[in-house]
Amino acid sequence: MTTAAATEAVHVVGAGALRAVVERAVAGLDGSAPATCLVPYVPDRASLAEWTDTRLSAEVGGALDAVLADVQHELGHAERIVFVLPAAPLMGGRDSMGASAVTNGVLSMARTLSIELARDGVTVNVLALGSDADPAAQLAALLGPGGEQSTGQEIYLTGGSDLGRLRP
Amino acid sequence: MSGLDGKVALVTGGAGGIGRGICERLAAEGATVVVADLDAAAADSIAAVIGGKGLVLDVTDPASRVAAIDFCAVLGGVDVLVNCAGVLKDARIATFEPALFRRLVAINLLGPLALVRLAAPGMIEKRAGRVINLASRAWLGTFGSTAYSTAKGGLVGATRSLALELGGGGITVNAVAPGFVDTPMTDGLPPHIRQRAIDSIPIGRAGRPDDIAGAVAYLAEAPYVTGQVLVVCGGRSIGNPFAA
Repeated sequence: MTTAAATEAVHVVGAGALRAVVERAVAGLDGSAPATCLVPYVPDRASLAEWTDTRLSAEVGGALDAVLADVQHELGHAERIVFVLPAAPLMGGRDSMGASAVTNGVLSMARTLSIELARDGVTVNVLALGSDADPAAQLAALLGPGGEQSTGQEIYLTGGSDLGRLRP
Repeated sequence: MSGLDGKVALVTGGAGGIGRGICERLAAEGATVVVADLDAAAADSIAAVIGGKGLVLDVTDPASRVAAIDFCAVLGGVDVLVNCAGVLKDARIATFEPALFRRLVAINLLGPLALVRLAAPGMIEKRAGRVINLASRAWLGTFGSTAYSTAKGGLVGATRSLALELGGGGITVNAVAPGFVDTPMTDGLPPHIRQRAIDSIPIGRAGRPDDIAGAVAYLAEAPYVTGQVLVVCGGRSIGNPFAA
Protein backbone atom coordinates (compact mmCIF):
# COMPACT_ATOMS: atom_id res chain seq x y z
CA MET A 1 0.00 0.00 0.00
CA THR A 2 1.32 3.40 -0.86
CA THR A 3 0.88 5.94 1.85
CA ALA A 4 1.06 9.70 1.56
CA ALA A 5 3.02 9.74 4.81
CA ALA A 6 5.67 7.48 3.33
CA THR A 7 6.24 9.55 0.22
CA GLU A 8 6.27 12.78 2.21
CA ALA A 9 8.84 11.31 4.54
CA VAL A 10 11.20 10.50 1.70
CA HIS A 11 12.77 13.28 -0.29
CA VAL A 12 14.26 12.41 -3.65
CA VAL A 13 16.83 14.99 -4.71
CA GLY A 14 19.53 15.34 -7.34
CA ALA A 15 19.69 15.60 -11.11
CA GLY A 16 20.82 12.07 -11.90
CA ALA A 17 19.30 10.00 -14.68
CA LEU A 18 18.23 7.39 -12.12
CA ARG A 19 15.96 9.84 -10.35
CA ALA A 20 12.77 8.60 -12.03
CA VAL A 21 13.59 5.00 -11.06
CA VAL A 22 14.05 6.05 -7.46
CA GLU A 23 10.88 8.13 -7.41
CA ARG A 24 8.89 5.13 -8.62
CA ALA A 25 10.44 2.95 -5.96
CA VAL A 26 9.75 5.47 -3.23
CA ALA A 27 6.14 5.82 -4.32
CA GLY A 28 5.65 2.16 -3.48
CA LEU A 29 7.05 2.36 0.03
CA ASP A 30 4.79 1.44 2.89
CA GLY A 31 6.16 3.60 5.67
CA SER A 32 9.56 5.12 6.09
CA ALA A 33 11.67 7.06 8.50
CA PRO A 34 12.36 10.63 7.40
CA ALA A 35 14.82 10.00 4.63
CA THR A 36 16.55 11.41 1.60
CA CYS A 37 17.46 9.53 -1.54
CA LEU A 38 20.19 11.44 -3.30
CA VAL A 39 20.60 10.76 -7.01
CA PRO A 40 23.61 12.74 -8.28
CA TYR A 41 24.13 13.96 -11.81
CA VAL A 42 26.70 11.79 -13.56
CA PRO A 43 28.50 13.05 -16.69
CA ASP A 44 28.09 11.29 -20.03
CA ARG A 45 30.84 9.16 -21.51
CA ALA A 46 33.66 11.12 -23.06
CA SER A 47 37.25 10.33 -23.97
CA LEU A 48 40.07 11.82 -21.94
CA ALA A 49 40.86 14.26 -24.73
CA GLU A 50 37.34 15.68 -24.52
CA TRP A 51 37.72 16.64 -20.86
CA THR A 52 38.65 20.29 -21.22
CA ASP A 53 39.36 22.31 -18.11
CA THR A 54 35.99 24.00 -18.45
CA ARG A 55 34.17 20.72 -18.77
CA LEU A 56 35.98 19.19 -15.81
CA SER A 57 35.09 22.15 -13.66
CA ALA A 58 31.44 22.21 -14.72
CA GLU A 59 30.57 18.53 -14.92
CA VAL A 60 32.81 16.97 -12.28
CA GLY A 61 33.37 19.88 -9.91
CA GLY A 62 29.83 21.13 -10.42
CA ALA A 63 28.29 17.72 -9.84
CA LEU A 64 30.17 17.30 -6.57
CA ASP A 65 29.28 20.85 -5.48
CA ALA A 66 25.63 20.00 -6.04
CA VAL A 67 25.86 16.87 -3.92
CA LEU A 68 27.39 18.82 -1.05
CA ALA A 69 24.60 21.40 -1.30
CA ASP A 70 21.90 18.71 -1.39
CA VAL A 71 23.32 16.89 1.62
CA GLN A 72 23.61 20.08 3.64
CA HIS A 73 20.06 21.04 2.72
CA GLU A 74 18.69 17.66 3.79
CA LEU A 75 20.56 17.36 7.10
CA GLY A 76 17.70 18.71 9.16
CA HIS A 77 15.23 16.31 7.60
CA ALA A 78 16.91 13.02 6.97
CA GLU A 79 17.42 10.27 9.52
CA ARG A 80 18.38 7.97 6.67
CA ILE A 81 20.36 8.97 3.59
CA VAL A 82 20.71 6.71 0.58
CA PHE A 83 22.92 7.66 -2.35
CA VAL A 84 21.81 6.00 -5.57
CA LEU A 85 24.53 5.65 -8.19
CA PRO A 86 24.98 3.83 -11.50
CA ALA A 87 27.19 0.79 -10.95
CA ALA A 88 29.06 0.87 -14.26
CA PRO A 89 31.13 4.03 -13.71
CA LEU A 90 31.72 3.04 -10.12
CA MET A 91 33.49 -0.05 -11.39
CA GLY A 92 35.24 1.86 -14.16
CA GLY A 93 34.93 1.90 -17.91
CA ARG A 94 36.53 3.20 -21.06
CA ASP A 95 35.77 6.85 -21.74
CA SER A 96 34.27 7.12 -18.28
CA MET A 97 36.83 9.20 -16.39
CA GLY A 98 34.37 11.96 -15.54
CA ALA A 99 31.56 9.63 -14.56
CA SER A 100 33.90 7.54 -12.46
CA ALA A 101 35.31 10.61 -10.75
CA VAL A 102 31.83 11.76 -9.76
CA THR A 103 30.40 8.41 -8.71
CA ASN A 104 33.47 7.35 -6.77
CA GLY A 105 33.75 10.78 -5.22
CA VAL A 106 30.20 10.43 -3.97
CA LEU A 107 30.94 6.89 -2.78
CA SER A 108 33.78 8.18 -0.62
CA MET A 109 31.66 11.08 0.58
CA ALA A 110 29.04 8.54 1.67
CA ARG A 111 31.68 6.54 3.53
CA THR A 112 32.82 9.64 5.40
CA LEU A 113 29.28 10.77 6.14
CA SER A 114 28.34 7.36 7.49
CA ILE A 115 31.16 7.69 10.02
CA GLU A 116 30.50 11.34 10.78
CA LEU A 117 26.72 11.22 11.09
CA ALA A 118 26.54 8.01 13.11
CA ARG A 119 26.77 10.03 16.31
CA ASP A 120 23.68 11.94 15.18
CA GLY A 121 21.75 8.73 14.56
CA VAL A 122 21.73 9.24 10.80
CA THR A 123 22.43 6.27 8.55
CA VAL A 124 24.15 6.66 5.19
CA ASN A 125 24.20 3.93 2.58
CA VAL A 126 24.82 3.50 -1.14
CA LEU A 127 22.85 1.61 -3.75
CA ALA A 128 24.74 0.93 -6.96
CA LEU A 129 22.32 0.10 -9.75
CA GLY A 130 23.05 -2.00 -12.77
CA SER A 131 21.00 -1.80 -15.94
CA ASP A 132 17.25 -2.05 -15.32
CA ALA A 133 17.73 -2.62 -11.59
CA ASP A 134 14.74 -1.89 -9.37
CA PRO A 135 15.84 -0.55 -5.99
CA ALA A 136 12.39 -0.80 -4.35
CA ALA A 137 13.11 -3.75 -2.06
CA GLN A 138 16.47 -2.42 -0.91
CA LEU A 139 15.05 1.05 -0.28
CA ALA A 140 12.25 -0.48 1.74
CA ALA A 141 14.80 -2.33 3.85
CA LEU A 142 17.06 0.67 4.37
CA LEU A 143 14.30 3.19 5.03
CA GLY A 144 11.79 1.04 6.87
CA PRO A 145 11.75 -0.57 10.34
CA GLY A 146 15.14 -2.08 11.13
CA GLY A 147 16.92 0.07 8.61
CA GLU A 148 18.60 2.02 11.39
CA GLN A 149 20.94 -0.94 11.87
CA SER A 150 22.58 -0.54 8.48
CA THR A 151 25.00 2.25 7.77
CA GLY A 152 28.07 2.65 5.61
CA GLN A 153 26.92 -0.18 3.37
CA GLU A 154 27.35 -0.38 -0.39
CA ILE A 155 24.86 -2.64 -2.12
CA TYR A 156 25.39 -3.51 -5.77
CA LEU A 157 22.18 -4.40 -7.60
CA THR A 158 23.88 -5.75 -10.67
CA GLY A 159 22.65 -9.30 -10.90
CA GLY A 160 26.19 -10.43 -10.22
CA SER A 161 27.73 -8.79 -13.29
CA ASP A 162 30.51 -7.36 -11.12
CA LEU A 163 31.42 -10.62 -9.43
CA GLY A 164 35.09 -11.54 -9.74
CA ARG A 165 36.07 -7.89 -10.00
CA LEU A 166 37.62 -5.58 -7.43
CA ARG A 167 35.14 -3.02 -6.26
CA PRO A 168 36.42 0.48 -5.56
CA MET B 1 70.95 0.34 -14.59
CA SER B 2 67.39 0.97 -13.53
CA GLY B 3 64.12 0.93 -15.39
CA LEU B 4 63.90 4.66 -14.84
CA ASP B 5 67.21 5.59 -16.45
CA GLY B 6 66.55 8.28 -19.03
CA LYS B 7 62.94 8.72 -17.97
CA VAL B 8 61.42 12.08 -17.11
CA ALA B 9 59.27 12.12 -13.98
CA LEU B 10 57.03 15.07 -13.21
CA VAL B 11 56.17 15.11 -9.49
CA THR B 12 53.57 17.66 -8.44
CA GLY B 13 53.73 18.80 -4.85
CA GLY B 14 57.34 17.70 -5.11
CA ALA B 15 58.54 19.92 -2.28
CA GLY B 16 56.04 18.59 0.25
CA GLY B 17 56.80 15.89 2.78
CA ILE B 18 55.72 12.91 0.69
CA GLY B 19 56.54 14.63 -2.58
CA ARG B 20 60.14 15.19 -1.58
CA GLY B 21 60.50 11.55 -0.66
CA ILE B 22 59.14 10.54 -4.05
CA CYS B 23 61.47 12.92 -5.88
CA GLU B 24 64.48 11.57 -4.02
CA ARG B 25 63.52 7.98 -4.68
CA LEU B 26 62.79 8.39 -8.38
CA ALA B 27 66.04 10.29 -8.85
CA ALA B 28 67.90 7.50 -7.07
CA GLU B 29 66.29 5.09 -9.52
CA GLY B 30 67.74 7.04 -12.42
CA ALA B 31 64.91 9.34 -13.48
CA THR B 32 65.31 12.99 -14.36
CA VAL B 33 62.89 14.43 -11.85
CA VAL B 34 61.01 17.66 -12.30
CA VAL B 35 60.23 18.88 -8.80
CA ALA B 36 57.05 20.87 -9.35
CA ASP B 37 55.64 22.88 -6.49
CA LEU B 38 54.04 26.18 -5.54
CA ASP B 39 57.13 26.90 -3.44
CA ALA B 40 59.79 27.80 -6.00
CA ALA B 41 62.67 28.03 -3.55
CA ALA B 42 61.91 24.65 -2.01
CA ALA B 43 61.49 23.03 -5.43
CA ASP B 44 64.82 24.44 -6.63
CA SER B 45 66.55 23.40 -3.43
CA ILE B 46 65.38 19.79 -3.68
CA ALA B 47 66.11 19.69 -7.39
CA ALA B 48 69.67 20.84 -6.72
CA VAL B 49 70.20 18.05 -4.21
CA ILE B 50 68.87 15.27 -6.44
CA GLY B 51 70.16 16.57 -9.76
CA GLY B 52 66.68 17.34 -11.05
CA LYS B 53 64.84 20.41 -12.23
CA GLY B 54 62.79 22.77 -10.09
CA LEU B 55 59.55 24.19 -11.44
CA VAL B 56 56.80 26.40 -10.09
CA LEU B 57 53.43 24.72 -10.55
CA ASP B 58 49.97 25.62 -9.34
CA VAL B 59 47.88 22.55 -10.17
CA THR B 60 44.71 24.63 -10.10
CA ASP B 61 45.95 27.05 -12.77
CA PRO B 62 45.44 25.91 -16.38
CA ALA B 63 48.32 28.01 -17.72
CA SER B 64 50.65 26.71 -15.05
CA ARG B 65 49.73 23.12 -15.93
CA VAL B 66 50.43 23.70 -19.63
CA ALA B 67 53.74 25.34 -18.79
CA ALA B 68 54.74 22.32 -16.71
CA ILE B 69 54.06 19.90 -19.56
CA ASP B 70 55.91 22.18 -22.00
CA PHE B 71 58.85 22.33 -19.59
CA CYS B 72 59.00 18.53 -19.52
CA ALA B 73 58.69 18.34 -23.32
CA VAL B 74 62.04 20.09 -23.63
CA LEU B 75 63.52 17.31 -21.50
CA GLY B 76 61.99 14.62 -23.68
CA GLY B 77 58.40 14.54 -22.43
CA VAL B 78 56.71 13.17 -19.33
CA ASP B 79 57.31 9.45 -18.90
CA VAL B 80 56.09 9.28 -15.30
CA LEU B 81 53.46 11.63 -13.94
CA VAL B 82 53.08 11.59 -10.17
CA ASN B 83 50.07 13.59 -9.03
CA CYS B 84 51.13 14.23 -5.46
CA ALA B 85 50.05 17.82 -4.79
CA GLY B 86 47.27 17.84 -2.24
CA VAL B 87 45.69 19.84 0.54
CA LEU B 88 43.68 18.57 3.50
CA LYS B 89 41.19 20.70 5.45
CA ASP B 90 38.58 19.12 7.65
CA ALA B 91 35.20 20.36 8.82
CA ARG B 92 31.89 18.80 9.82
CA ILE B 93 29.50 18.43 6.92
CA ALA B 94 26.92 20.87 8.30
CA THR B 95 29.38 23.75 8.31
CA PHE B 96 31.57 22.86 5.35
CA GLU B 97 31.97 26.01 3.30
CA PRO B 98 31.12 25.36 -0.37
CA ALA B 99 34.02 27.52 -1.56
CA LEU B 100 36.49 25.50 0.52
CA PHE B 101 34.93 22.27 -0.73
CA ARG B 102 35.41 23.38 -4.34
CA ARG B 103 38.98 24.50 -3.70
CA LEU B 104 39.89 21.15 -2.19
CA VAL B 105 38.26 19.32 -5.10
CA ALA B 106 40.15 21.55 -7.55
CA ILE B 107 43.52 20.81 -5.94
CA ASN B 108 43.03 17.14 -5.15
CA LEU B 109 40.96 15.99 -8.13
CA LEU B 110 40.40 18.40 -11.02
CA GLY B 111 44.01 19.57 -11.31
CA PRO B 112 45.44 16.04 -11.39
CA LEU B 113 42.93 14.92 -14.02
CA ALA B 114 43.72 17.94 -16.17
CA LEU B 115 47.41 17.08 -15.95
CA VAL B 116 46.73 13.52 -17.08
CA ARG B 117 44.91 14.90 -20.12
CA LEU B 118 47.88 17.11 -20.97
CA ALA B 119 50.49 14.41 -20.40
CA ALA B 120 48.67 11.56 -22.13
CA PRO B 121 49.25 12.53 -25.79
CA GLY B 122 53.03 12.40 -25.35
CA MET B 123 52.80 9.06 -23.60
CA ILE B 124 50.50 7.68 -26.29
CA GLU B 125 53.02 8.76 -28.93
CA LYS B 126 55.75 6.82 -27.10
CA ARG B 127 53.36 3.95 -26.40
CA ALA B 128 54.60 4.04 -22.83
CA GLY B 129 53.86 5.96 -19.70
CA ARG B 130 53.08 5.75 -16.02
CA VAL B 131 50.51 7.80 -14.17
CA ILE B 132 50.54 7.50 -10.40
CA ASN B 133 47.87 9.35 -8.50
CA LEU B 134 48.36 9.94 -4.80
CA ALA B 135 45.01 9.16 -3.26
CA SER B 136 44.59 8.66 0.48
CA ARG B 137 43.30 6.16 2.95
CA ALA B 138 40.59 8.82 3.43
CA TRP B 139 39.08 7.38 0.27
CA LEU B 140 37.67 4.71 2.59
CA GLY B 141 36.03 7.39 4.73
CA THR B 142 37.38 9.58 7.52
CA PHE B 143 35.49 11.63 10.09
CA GLY B 144 35.32 15.29 9.07
CA SER B 145 37.04 14.82 5.73
CA THR B 146 34.08 15.30 3.42
CA ALA B 147 35.92 17.25 0.74
CA TYR B 148 39.23 15.42 0.97
CA SER B 149 37.70 11.97 0.90
CA THR B 150 35.34 12.96 -1.92
CA ALA B 151 38.24 14.26 -4.00
CA LYS B 152 40.45 11.27 -3.29
CA GLY B 153 37.60 8.86 -3.98
CA GLY B 154 37.04 10.64 -7.26
CA LEU B 155 40.70 10.23 -8.06
CA VAL B 156 40.51 6.50 -7.37
CA GLY B 157 37.49 6.16 -9.64
CA ALA B 158 39.12 8.14 -12.41
CA THR B 159 42.25 6.03 -12.04
CA ARG B 160 40.25 2.88 -12.77
CA SER B 161 38.59 4.32 -15.88
CA LEU B 162 41.78 5.89 -17.16
CA ALA B 163 43.57 2.57 -16.77
CA LEU B 164 40.96 1.00 -19.02
CA GLU B 165 41.09 3.83 -21.53
CA LEU B 166 44.87 4.18 -21.76
CA GLY B 167 46.02 0.60 -21.20
CA GLY B 168 46.01 -0.25 -24.88
CA GLY B 169 48.48 2.56 -25.46
CA GLY B 170 51.04 1.10 -23.10
CA ILE B 171 50.16 3.50 -20.29
CA THR B 172 49.47 2.28 -16.78
CA VAL B 173 47.42 4.33 -14.33
CA ASN B 174 47.47 3.49 -10.64
CA ALA B 175 46.86 5.08 -7.28
CA VAL B 176 48.72 4.97 -4.01
CA ALA B 177 46.68 5.54 -0.87
CA PRO B 178 48.88 6.59 2.03
CA GLY B 179 47.69 6.35 5.60
CA PHE B 180 49.04 8.46 8.44
CA VAL B 181 52.45 9.76 7.35
CA ASP B 182 54.86 11.98 9.25
CA THR B 183 54.95 15.20 7.22
CA PRO B 184 54.61 18.92 7.90
CA MET B 185 50.90 18.41 7.10
CA THR B 186 50.47 16.05 10.09
CA ASP B 187 52.99 17.72 12.43
CA GLY B 188 50.39 20.22 13.57
CA LEU B 189 47.94 17.66 14.90
CA PRO B 190 47.14 17.77 18.63
CA PRO B 191 49.28 15.18 20.46
CA HIS B 192 46.31 13.07 21.58
CA ILE B 193 44.95 12.87 18.04
CA ARG B 194 48.35 11.93 16.72
CA GLN B 195 48.80 9.25 19.37
CA ARG B 196 45.35 7.84 18.68
CA ALA B 197 46.21 7.57 15.01
CA ILE B 198 49.47 5.77 15.72
CA ASP B 199 47.74 3.43 18.17
CA SER B 200 45.43 2.36 15.34
CA ILE B 201 48.32 1.34 13.06
CA PRO B 202 49.24 -2.35 13.36
CA ILE B 203 52.84 -1.71 12.31
CA GLY B 204 53.07 0.56 15.36
CA ARG B 205 54.45 3.72 13.83
CA ALA B 206 53.51 6.55 11.53
CA GLY B 207 54.41 6.14 7.90
CA ARG B 208 57.47 7.83 6.47
CA PRO B 209 57.66 9.56 3.12
CA ASP B 210 60.02 6.86 1.89
CA ASP B 211 57.37 4.22 2.60
CA ILE B 212 55.14 5.96 0.07
CA ALA B 213 58.03 6.68 -2.29
CA GLY B 214 58.83 2.98 -2.45
CA ALA B 215 55.31 2.19 -3.60
CA VAL B 216 55.45 4.95 -6.21
CA ALA B 217 58.81 3.73 -7.48
CA TYR B 218 57.43 0.23 -7.80
CA LEU B 219 54.46 1.41 -9.85
CA ALA B 220 56.71 3.63 -11.96
CA GLU B 221 58.48 0.51 -13.19
CA ALA B 222 55.64 -2.04 -13.15
CA PRO B 223 54.42 -2.69 -16.71
CA TYR B 224 51.64 -5.11 -15.83
CA VAL B 225 49.89 -3.41 -12.92
CA THR B 226 47.16 -0.95 -13.77
CA GLY B 227 43.94 0.42 -12.35
CA GLN B 228 44.94 -0.53 -8.84
CA VAL B 229 44.99 1.23 -5.50
CA LEU B 230 48.02 0.35 -3.41
CA VAL B 231 47.14 1.15 0.19
CA VAL B 232 50.27 2.04 2.17
CA CYS B 233 48.99 2.54 5.68
CA GLY B 234 50.81 0.18 8.01
CA GLY B 235 47.72 -2.01 8.11
CA ARG B 236 45.41 0.70 9.45
CA SER B 237 42.74 -0.04 6.86
CA ILE B 238 42.11 -3.62 7.99
CA GLY B 239 40.50 -5.10 11.05
CA ASN B 240 38.04 -3.61 13.50
CA PRO B 241 39.23 -0.22 14.74
CA PHE B 242 37.14 -0.59 17.88
CA ALA B 243 38.52 -3.98 18.86
CA ALA B 244 41.04 -4.09 21.72
